[in-house]
Amino acid sequence: MTLSRGDVDHVATLARLGLSDTEKDRLLGELEAILGHIARLQNVDTSTLAETAQVGDLVNVMRGDETVEPIGAAAALRNAPASDGSYFVVGAIQGTDLDA
Amino acid sequence: MTPRTITELAAALRDGSTTPQALLADALARVERTDKDLNAYLSVTRELAEQQADAAARTLGDHPDTASPLCGIPVALKDVLCVDGIETTAGSKILRGFKPPYTGTAVQRLFDAGAVCIGKTNCDEFAMGSSTENSAYGPVGNPWDIERVPGGSSGGSAATVAAGSVPYSLGTDTGGSIRQPAALCGVVGFKPTYGRVSRYGLIAFASSLDQIGPFTRTVEDAALVFAAIAGHDPCDSTSEPRAVEDPLASLGAGVAGMRLGIPREYLGDGTEPGVRASVEAAFRVLEAQGATLHEVSLPSTDVALSVYYVIAPAECSSNLARYDGVRFGNRVERASLTDMYLQTRGAGFGNEVKRRIMLGTYALSSGYYDAYYRQAQKVRTLVSQEFEAVFKEVDAIVCPTSPSVAFPMGSRDDPLSMYMCDVVTLPANLAGVPGISVPCGFVDGLPAGLQVIAPRFEDARVLRVAHAYEQATDFHTVLSPYAGKAA
Repeated sequence: MTLSRGDVDHVATLARLGLSDTEKDRLLGELEAILGHIARLQNVDTSTLAETAQVGDLVNVMRGDETVEPIGAAAALRNAPASDGSYFVVGAIQGTDLDA
Repeated sequence: MTPRTITELAAALRDGSTTPQALLADALARVERTDKDLNAYLSVTRELAEQQADAAARTLGDHPDTASPLCGIPVALKDVLCVDGIETTAGSKILRGFKPPYTGTAVQRLFDAGAVCIGKTNCDEFAMGSSTENSAYGPVGNPWDIERVPGGSSGGSAATVAAGSVPYSLGTDTGGSIRQPAALCGVVGFKPTYGRVSRYGLIAFASSLDQIGPFTRTVEDAALVFAAIAGHDPCDSTSEPRAVEDPLASLGAGVAGMRLGIPREYLGDGTEPGVRASVEAAFRVLEAQGATLHEVSLPSTDVALSVYYVIAPAECSSNLARYDGVRFGNRVERASLTDMYLQTRGAGFGNEVKRRIMLGTYALSSGYYDAYYRQAQKVRTLVSQEFEAVFKEVDAIVCPTSPSVAFPMGSRDDPLSMYMCDVVTLPANLAGVPGISVPCGFVDGLPAGLQVIAPRFEDARVLRVAHAYEQATDFHTVLSPYAGKAA
């Protein structure tokens, strides 16, 4: 398993993680070592196995279509780094496009 | 005064020899004396505790016979469990100052039973780690040897029980984060069946694996706490609707006639000789109680570690996407939204969390999804099938909880060597089965743990086997030096 520095840059962008060059260099080595260990997964014959996404037996858990008291805007905004009392406030959405 | 168990304190509260307020004062004094060294607490919730102690005193005064056995007894909560209005950080800088607008279900059930919450305990950041060295607020010391780790990720919850400050605490277990620190701190730690305890109000790490459970000094106490927190909750869609079997009804039934399996892969070369000797001695104790022992095989144990370190990071990379500086948590201000995301997350997360987000994002990314994530999900099926096959032969599995005793702080700086700590605990999370760790001896003065694992929803059986072993031994009665110091 070889991982390139470009792969690290790409994955950091997908994950929206701002990393320093030093962090990226360190992660390159660490991720290579971990992926090298995990590579043993490829040796398991899984041709007859279905995937397990969850171990419970529950499927399509529904509830009655009944109105419940919402938490309310004031409580929901209490931990917001910036709000105007009704909405969360963020900076300009235009300007950078990481995925271009 | 010697630290007492929930059962002992419940009796003392009813015979009038103590009060909830006195127990609270004693617990806070113990934390005051020990926590400069241990760093087991991220916050002490004195005001909340005083209100709860007063309310519990009234309940015990009015209804001593119907009050819960937990009424008036102090508890500490891992800092990934939300309490309304009480700072909850998950051991992360990104959540410093976060005060949840609601209380999670498991915690609310304790509060409804009259529990007195004295504080929030330190843990690996977002519960990612096996030593509690990944907390953004400094590591936790092991009460048996302050230079060593308490295990993790629920290290603070384990250490505070081992130090005798509280008779019980809550932790969470995604790959061993209750059982392994319980073993390393010489206390009981119980991970119930997946879906048995609601996770509503638990800060999510890996949603197909996470489970809440107790740390206690005895198995009976673990059964009491489990009975209080277990059961269906419509707020958690993975919560199991079927009725909870009363774990106390069969607790004393013993192991005579039971078939117990020892997976040969769980006592491999990585197991320290002292741990192996302790656990093998425990097998003899169970045999003397009338159980029969059988060697069994879980052939995919080795590869289960790889399955875990694909699935858990994949789920964490998704769950932690919510920490974006918009709705809660800290923000690094930047002019554009994208830059704000990048800088907020870069500054807010620690190294292990970043490593797992990167690993998980990679495993889920286009071109690698089939090779890593989908393949891991398939091998997870194999791991579950192997447990099912073994449980056709035996009633429960007995094995070590951790291949090692508590190790010195800073001694496992390589991520892979830290991941190996969970090799005999994480398969139970992948299969969703319940497991417990119970003290089974000492290696050079450091505790070792015996793990008991049973089929899904056989939580009562896990507790029954562990209780039978515990009652035949006295390792659980040996107090850590810090519990003695606090006396």
